[in-house]
Amino acid sequence: MTRPFILSASIAEATFAVPETAAPILRAAEAAGLDLLVMGRSGTRPFDAQVLLAWAAPMTSRLGLVATVPASNAHPFHVARALSAIDFLSAGRTGWSVIPEGAEDGMAEDMVGAARALWDGWGSDTLILDKASGRYLDAAKVHASNYEGPFFKVAGPVNAMRPPLGHPLLVVDGDDPIAISDADLALIGEHGAAPAATKRLLKVSPEADVASLLARFEAGEIDGLHFTLTDAAAQLPEIGARFASLVKDRANEAGDLRRRLGLPIPQTASNQPGGAVIPENA
Amino acid sequence: MMEKQIHLWAFLQGIGFFPSGWMHERARPEGVFSMDYYARVAKLAEQGCFDAIVFGDQLQSRGAGGHTPERMAMPTLDPVSLLTAMAAVTDHVGLVATVSTSYNTPEMLAERFGAMERISGGRAGWNIVTTAHPATAPNFGEDDLPPKDERYRRAKEVVAKACELWSAMDREGPMLPQGRPVLVQAGQSPDGRDFAARTAEAIFCPAANIEAGIDFRNDLRSRVADVGRNPDGVRIMPGLSCVLGGSEEEARATHAAILDLADDALAIEYLSESLGCDLTAFDPLGMIPVETILDQTILPRADIARAITPAQEKGTPLGAFAANFMRHPRGHNVFLGTPEQMADMMIEWRDAGACDGFTLQPSYMPGGLEDFVEQVVPILQKRGRLRTEYPGTTLRETLGLSAREAVTA
Ligand SMILES: Cc1cc2nc3c(=O)[nH]c(=O)nc-3n(C[C@H](O)[C@H](O)[C@H](O)COP(=O)(O)O)c2cc1C
Repeated sequence: MTRPFILSASIAEATFAVPETAAPILRAAEAAGLDLLVMGRSGTRPFDAQVLLAWAAPMTSRLGLVATVPASNAHPFHVARALSAIDFLSAGRTGWSVIPEGAEDGMAEDMVGAARALWDGWGSDTLILDKASGRYLDAAKVHASNYEGPFFKVAGPVNAMRPPLGHPLLVVDGDDPIAISDADLALIGEHGAAPAATKRLLKVSPEADVASLLARFEAGEIDGLHFTLTDAAAQLPEIGARFASLVKDRANEAGDLRRRLGLPIPQTASNQPGGAVIPENA
Repeated sequence: MMEKQIHLWAFLQGIGFFPSGWMHERARPEGVFSMDYYARVAKLAEQGCFDAIVFGDQLQSRGAGGHTPERMAMPTLDPVSLLTAMAAVTDHVGLVATVSTSYNTPEMLAERFGAMERISGGRAGWNIVTTAHPATAPNFGEDDLPPKDERYRRAKEVVAKACELWSAMDREGPMLPQGRPVLVQAGQSPDGRDFAARTAEAIFCPAANIEAGIDFRNDLRSRVADVGRNPDGVRIMPGLSCVLGGSEEEARATHAAILDLADDALAIEYLSESLGCDLTAFDPLGMIPVETILDQTILPRADIARAITPAQEKGTPLGAFAANFMRHPRGHNVFLGTPEQMADMMIEWRDAGACDGFTLQPSYMPGGLEDFVEQVVPILQKRGRLRTEYPGTTLRETLGLSAREAVTA
């Protein structure tokens, strides 16, 4: 598979929490060919990104949906469940970006560890759903993680299949880094820190020069671009017009986000290489 | 005078009300993992002019003494996420999510429900629970639940604080369409009823028969009046499950067939979970292992003793006790009969003051909901007891409640 050029943007406009504004923005984001929309923290509350993600799931068909999660105002048990539900609702299109905002040192990392342990509670083939034999699941494949970190202690598991992506994509922001060595995506500035991650997206403005960025992608220096939206309604069509050619060949690509972006399911996430298996019933 | 209108809620968590329901030929247990399913049932509820869809919630890993049931359908995906996704594919139906005050901070609650309230255009409701299952505590780093009176004390503080935070949000950002979500409650004990009287705008409760409904509603209305609130500002919505048929005999036969889908093993797993003690290794033909149960249960021992002693005294074998236990799910009314008879029953309850409406709990999903919407809803509408269109856009308008009532908690 050819290496995908990844386009990402983040939004934290307070009006994104209102359906009349959010619906056209989501349509514009998909039309612009974005792979990821990171819902950030708005200065104006309420702006719970996990809730907005759930609403966006049925409104979109291709866009990756990433929630910013502040470690100081969340609990891993709730976060793991919410993102698992959204990953099902979006058929494998979720991600999260844990930020240390307001939290003590180490809390964001602990949040990641605890949620990952919870996602690993049910193996990908735990469900049986056999009406004839009456077996709903295989109890031998359900594990209590009994995770214990410096801030969070969580027995688990959650009562649900693990997410289709294994774990939702973990996105780290170089301007607000957390000490995680195996993130899926890092958003990096031209000069700032470059956290370890499988893929690196360079933060640029919608006016940035397309040809030189493509050259840097081809040289393997970056895997894509990230735009911080300040006026989504105006900027998304502009981004579409200037950058959509970079992702044009993937416009109709099907499949979950890990497959499309060339990100493997994490080693710990599964007792099977594929996604979660939901058996079909007659 | 307009005849008394019946309010309707749809309780759609999981795969239906009967533990054996997931095996029914018209059940789609795989559906609860897909948006298509939620879109379909949400639109169905809206087509049936339901006030709201309600989701319960459990924050514990289901199981009995370390044993995960293999025969019970039991996914509990996060209700706020599911209901918010349903908001995106509907225009009117309200969305009531169960969320615990014991394991959320007021800040988390205010933020989540505030966002849900705004993005749904004012259709959010909060079923306030204090969490009763001891296995929840280890998921939040604790060994035990706080005692019940402490949980209710905390609930009062958390609700009051969350309401303050919503007022602040309402002043600062775009308006919250309802000011705050509709406050719903489902506790049964004196503590729970007292809390409901001070706080709730709607109450979800069990009522096995019309007399129980009248007693509960009278009790709650007088408690509401005692704290200086208007009882007409509170909707009482007992649970109602049903199995419909072309005749009463047919409905009874269908009901029996659904229950027959459950074998001894399922019944014993259901009982195990309800008693908080793994009984799956015991002989269904043997006696109820009372000592083991009381020794090992993680639930309050006195409650469990009360549940098993009568059967023990009669010498009922374990399997038979479990099968019988499964037939009487949690004190809710289970109606068996024709759609006409069901409409008659609902009107009778409403006119007798046994409720303001019902929380429909389909026996299996989505077939049980489809049957009700297709067969009973049109009868209620024809008789002028159920709306044919929504009066406004917010849940509060749909429930006929005044715009913003102060919380006295
Ligand atoms: C009809 C009904 C539905 C309930 N649903 C839930 C639920 O989904 N999740 C939960 O944690 N508690 C639920 N509860 C539990 C109550 O909110 C309450 O915590 C529990 O009944 C103990 O308090 P009580 O003794 O006052 O009833 C429900 C209770 C009733 C009566």
